[in-house]
Amino acid sequence: MPVSQKKNINRAISGWLIMLPTLILFAFYVWEPLLKIIQMSLYNAQGFTLTEFVGLDNYKSLLANPDFTIAWKNTFMYTFWSLIIGFCVPILLALLITETPVFRSLTRVAVYFPNILPGLAVMLIWLFFFKPGNAGVLNNILATVGIKPLTWLSAKGWTIPLIVVTMTWRSAGSTALIYMAGISGINPEQVEAATIDGAGIIRRIFSVILPSLTGLVKVMLILQIISVFQILYEPLMMTNGGPNNASISIMMLVYNYAFLHFDFPKAAAVSVMICIVLSLFTALYFVVSGRRGKE
Amino acid sequence: MRKLLARLYGDKSVGSIRAYDAKSPLTQILSVFFVLICALIIVIVLLPVIWVVFAGFKDIRELNRSTSFFPASFDLSSYVKTWGQLHFTEHYINSFIVLIGGVFCAVIFNGLLAYALGILRPPGYKIVFGLVMWTMLIPPTTSVVAQYLNIRSVVETLAGLMNVKSQETLLAVAPLWFIMGANAFWLVLFKQFFEELPKDYIEAATLDGCSDLRVFTHIILPLSKPIMMVVAIFAATAAWSDFLLPHLLLNNSRWSTVMVRLFEFRSAMRVNDTDRLRAVVFSIIPPIIIFSLFQKQITSGIATGGIKG
Repeated sequence: MPVSQKKNINRAISGWLIMLPTLILFAFYVWEPLLKIIQMSLYNAQGFTLTEFVGLDNYKSLLANPDFTIAWKNTFMYTFWSLIIGFCVPILLALLITETPVFRSLTRVAVYFPNILPGLAVMLIWLFFFKPGNAGVLNNILATVGIKPLTWLSAKGWTIPLIVVTMTWRSAGSTALIYMAGISGINPEQVEAATIDGAGIIRRIFSVILPSLTGLVKVMLILQIISVFQILYEPLMMTNGGPNNASISIMMLVYNYAFLHFDFPKAAAVSVMICIVLSLFTALYFVVSGRRGKE
Repeated sequence: MRKLLARLYGDKSVGSIRAYDAKSPLTQILSVFFVLICALIIVIVLLPVIWVVFAGFKDIRELNRSTSFFPASFDLSSYVKTWGQLHFTEHYINSFIVLIGGVFCAVIFNGLLAYALGILRPPGYKIVFGLVMWTMLIPPTTSVVAQYLNIRSVVETLAGLMNVKSQETLLAVAPLWFIMGANAFWLVLFKQFFEELPKDYIEAATLDGCSDLRVFTHIILPLSKPIMMVVAIFAATAAWSDFLLPHLLLNNSRWSTVMVRLFEFRSAMRVNDTDRLRAVVFSIIPPIIIFSLFQKQITSGIATGGIKG
């Protein structure tokens, strides 16, 4: 065997040996569990052990469960409201922080700040703000302007939008930073050329800055849908799915099946469905972001 | 007004407004408006956090009755009492044990794989990278059930072999360290950074007969301190804040972390509202310290990681 070929084989082996420990971790924590939930969803189980193969029975009985339909509907409502409330906020923040004459770095740091707070702590704080009756912080604030106390999260139509508001409060800042980086990547000459053509500052935003962000906006849109689709902690902590299942999400259904009823196959079946939907979104993400890379 | 604005916008070359716009009345009106909105945003962001710190000073009766934003007195002894009663020293230590191991694993394991994928590129590396990227967006929460079962079976087997009770040893905590080593987002951050390192250093070392692993520890890592810092900070905040898997693994054990306790407090009857609020304050202190120390690295890491990743 020629020396160079032997050397190549050695290099390949050492490369794979370096990858191996991390690949084992990925297999153990990410890939194998994904395969396992597919398998589990097709079986009956007694506690932790799988007993008999039942085919698609778990899926069938899920479809007959009214909670299942409600959870999907709610998950779409979360996504809908997060697009209404949460999607524009980071773009507006990024534009604002780019254009403000003072407080630029202070606001930048401030909007990012809630991101580093543990989600759990944030939800507990907001629970006190949304408390119904006179003890609630927001009701106190409303009282000073003479508005009667509201019931906030316990009012059926309000639960999902309010949860989305707290999510936006916590995470809008980090998305805004990404948009800001996008804005600062725009060639300044483009803006100046528009100025020479007589465009005012508003016109420049709409005809130069926003159009150059389109690719980024599409990517962030899909990423946001993906992340809202898995919403679990917020309803679990803030409302426990209530009032009367009004805020139960599809991931929360997984949690309830697995850790309240210990019905692992059903939990797995719901997870598989979520993974299928998320895989579709992921494929879309790669199409959009790949196209953006080529542009 | 015009001169002030022209000076404030002096060297601005991003976004829409430039120094030469300062003379237009629209810019003048808008800039005042922008400043007001910024101030409002800062208030909205900080108010809930300041409120919770102040509310922690109130006693339970004051919390339920008084509508004042400020507490009647700033007496730290109420915080000290809650800290002791809810055993926060213990939980802090546990949280730091989880955090330190997690940060170490996050840097070493993701770094190693990124080194192989970005620099060594052994045959087949593209398939590995494709697999990692594909699962990047499928969140571990969807497979948390299977993850939990996997961890449980390995931990119990090891505990059986070593003849110990898993809940009493670090075996219970170790899965939370190693899970930090399988994070596609941090992997991509490392990979991008490594790919931009000067190639000649690495080639020179390889020609000198350094093994690949030695090149990693002696050349790549020393050159990569900035990105190691970014990943370490992200891993530290993630390890501190995570609660679902820690709750499943550490609940009712001697290792329960700050977040595991906080999760239990949501429904625990014996914990009253003031204690709950103080526990929230304890849980946000370390992240706030980390943020104030490293705010530059954190915000720049988000911007670059988000754009390229």
